[in-house]
Amino acid sequence: MRTIFAALALTTALTLSGIAMAKPVTLTTTLKNYGGNGAYLAIYVTDPKGAYAGSLWMAGTKSKYYEHLSDWYRATGGNTAEINGITGASVGAGRQMEITLDLADALFDAGYILHIDAAVEDMRDSPNEIAVPLTAGGASQSVQGRRYIANFSYGM
Amino acid sequence: MKRTFAILFASTALVAAIGLPAWSAMHGSVQFEGSRDAALAASRDSGASPVLVGDHDDGDRRHGRRLRHGGDDDDHDEGDGEDDDESRPGNSSGPAPAGSVAPPQNGLFGSGAAPKVQVN
Repeated sequence: MRTIFAALALTTALTLSGIAMAKPVTLTTTLKNYGGNGAYLAIYVTDPKGAYAGSLWMAGTKSKYYEHLSDWYRATGGNTAEINGITGASVGAGRQMEITLDLADALFDAGYILHIDAAVEDMRDSPNEIAVPLTAGGASQSVQGRRYIANFSYGM
Repeated sequence: MKRTFAILFASTALVAAIGLPAWSAMHGSVQFEGSRDAALAASRDSGASPVLVGDHDDGDRRHGRRLRHGGDDDDHDEGDGEDDDESRPGNSSGPAPAGSVAPPQNGLFGSGAAPKVQVN
């Protein structure tokens, strides 16, 4: 009986600590009126050494087009397991996409960088359209994209 | 005499054995070219754009990094952010859409909570 209680206490503590070590973060991406079809966007994170750490979101579900998100594709080999459960529709020109994710606290103020690759049908690919360090101080600060993204910000 | 007939018979059999498959192969390829030309002509007449299965034209990919939906039967309107089958679960070649499975356990997500997305 004691063993069961101890195990329950341990799992509860671990669960609670896991919840406490994460917070909801809203990523807001507004696209320019670039006059084309919906944009494919790969949102991913690199670690302090610049290595791919993981994906946060994929806008666009057809995997045959992922090679145009070239930096993301190079890092992942286009492995769709990286984006299972975090994939939605592509984003139209002039539209704003808001994604709320439960992100680990460890990502902030630790040298992690959020990147966005973008690609639009019949228009030039735009890898690393956004590259912004994840810091508590950088929250809610708007960053301009290079080609298709008017601005991007994350809020906590 | 018997020997001459035997040699003639053997050489004829040899020619037939080698020549017939070669001839039929050549004839077959001509037929294929003919049917391909006929198909192209028919498509020109009808105004439809021909699709040649097996022609590996990677030219577009090499000529620039541009995403192309051509020949895909997608019905895109300008500014439309929704692909035809994007919300359809169970796409064998694509990833699982948000909400259908938990996010990947890549250490970035604090829990298995499904992300919320809104497009305005």
